[in-house]
Formats: sequence, C-alpha cells, structure tokens
Amino acid sequence: MTDTYEPKVIAFCCHYCTYSAADLAGSMRLEYSPNIRVVKLMCTGKVDVPLLLRAFEDGADAAFVGG
Amino acid sequence: MIVGERKPFAEITELIKDSKKVLILGCGTCVSVCMAGGMKEVSILASQLRMDSGIQDKGMEFGEDTIQRQCDREYIEPIIELAKSHDVVVSMACGAGVQLLSDMLVPTPVLPAVNTSFIGICEEEGTWLERCRGCGNCLLGETGGICPVARCAKNLFNGPCGGSVNGICEVSPNTPCAWQLVYDRLKALDKLETLEEIQPIRDWSPSSNGIPRGVFREDMAGIGKESESASE
Amino acid sequence: MKYAQKMLEEVGIEGDRLKMYNIGASDAPLFAQAANEMTERAREFGPNPLKKGKR
Repeated sequence: MTDTYEPKVIAFCCHYCTYSAADLAGSMRLEYSPNIRVVKLMCTGKVDVPLLLRAFEDGADAAFVGG
Repeated sequence: MIVGERKPFAEITELIKDSKKVLILGCGTCVSVCMAGGMKEVSILASQLRMDSGIQDKGMEFGEDTIQRQCDREYIEPIIELAKSHDVVVSMACGAGVQLLSDMLVPTPVLPAVNTSFIGICEEEGTWLERCRGCGNCLLGETGGICPVARCAKNLFNGPCGGSVNGICEVSPNTPCAWQLVYDRLKALDKLETLEEIQPIRDWSPSSNGIPRGVFREDMAGIGKESESASE
Repeated sequence: MKYAQKMLEEVGIEGDRLKMYNIGASDAPLFAQAANEMTERAREFGPNPLKKGKR
C-alpha cells in the first residue's frame, strides 16, 4: 500500500496572484511536484475553516492556500 | 449578547458516543456572533465529526442545520420532525436554547456542544468580555455606563476599595478597576458630582437568589389567544 | 489558519498538513517551491488517516 502512495495536495489559489504564479511557473517551464490539484478561487478571502476541513474530509493528504 | 465557547472535541464525541444518527443544530443569534455555535461552527463541527467517525470506523451519520434562535418556540417548531428523525440532537446554542429545544423534542435527547460563558461584548477580534450579570436592577445611569456589579470584583457601589492601584484591580492584574473607569467616565461627561451621592444599601431582590426568575406582563398575557378568537 | 490546524489536530490529522503561503502573481518559483514542500510533507506524514480502509 505504502509503495503506491502518491500524496494528493490541494492548492487553493487566488485567481489574481497564486493562480497567475502557477500559470507563470508553467510558462517558465519550472518543474514542480505533479501531486498538486489546483482549486482556483476568485480571492483567498473565500477560504474559510469549513472549506479547508472539507479538503481533508474528502481525502486530501495535504493542502495549502496561496494568496 | 450571550457569549459562549465550544466544548472540547473529545467531550463532544464522548457525549454522542452511543448514537448513530446525530443532528448538529446551530443557533443564528448570540452564539453565531461570538463564533461559538452558528452556521459556520456547525459546519466545522460536522466536518470534524465526519472525519473522526471515518478514521475510527464509527459509521455515524451527521445532519446539519441552523435556526434563527433556539430560545423561541416558533423557530424550533419547523425543525421538530427533522430533529426527531435523528437519534440525538447536538445543540450549539446557549444553555437557554438547549433547554427549550430539549423540552420540545422529547423523547429525542438534546446535548450541549457549547459552554455558555456570560453576557458580554466583543472587545476586539478574539476577545470577549463580560459586561452584564443580569442583576435585575440597573444602575448604569449613576455610574456613567460602567457596571460595578459585573465589573467590580467586590461589587462595590460607592467608589473603589483600597486595592485599586494605578487603575488596576487587585483581584486580577488584567482587569481595570471598575471604579477608576467610572471616575474617568464621569469626568469626561462632566458629571463628577454624581459620585458625591451616596448609593443606599442595594435591593438585591430582583437579582438571582438561586430560584429561576421570570418576567410576567399582564398586559400581554393571552394576547395570542385573543387575536385568534377575534379572527374566528 | 491556526484554528483550522487545531480543528484537524483534534480529530487526529496533523495540523502541519495545512499551510498558508503568500505568493505574488510573479512569484512562480515560490509556487513551485510550495508545491514541492507540501508534497514532501504529505509524503512524510503518510496518507490521510481517513483513507486507510478505502484503498
């Protein structure tokens, strides 16, 4: 089981900053972990505790908020 | 508002350990404002409980709802059916809400998820302070709006005790002396002469003496029934 | 953020699985670093305890 473990990491991204940064990372051909699942938000102000807990409830192994 | 604080998670899981289907019911008034038991806190608690149940294979089910007020019958009535379809209801309201809910939901048990702290205000983000003790005989008019019942550890009514040092209470170094505050406020209001009046021995009978108090208004008694019969 | 971490700890999920980054629109390297860092953390902690039986 452990050898097949690939973590799922949720990235809550603000449309105007982190999402653009992620986009730019692509344009710059930066290599980064493919385990990221991006959730785009119009603003990180949308993030609240229930939303973060929900990510873990639905099986995320880690999550970060970028704003 | 009534200020409360959510109980520790372990205490809540212990309370509901024998139930399978649990309704978590928030209250949309005071405890919502002090962020202890409103819609958001319901969703946090439900999320936590679902994760806990998932991790420990408890196989529990959780319903979520929030009503405007749990201390008014008309708000509870619409959710009675829903509540009774669960094994147990976890109320995130104050003690008054839990009790009325529990009266109205028999035989479904109602358990508290919030500790009711006091009647108070939000001083700043994350800080709530006690301001009123419901003593039933308000004297804020004489003290410039600062309550010596709730805010003076010794409940003094005629000036500070000898323990007031640099405006700080001797009982708690984090608490300002209520009488220092009264003095400063009356000075700002240009009403210092109020302090020269001696407050007589106080009538504490309207205050809580252990027996639950009530407010009864004859002019309002039976009004609902009257209008019903008039419309018939 | 701290509160959410505490809520996770209470049910037995490590609070450090969650982090807040301040990433500007032009900060692509920081985004990549955040992504790698969090994946690394998730590897260290192992799978989310909720998923045990489901695999």
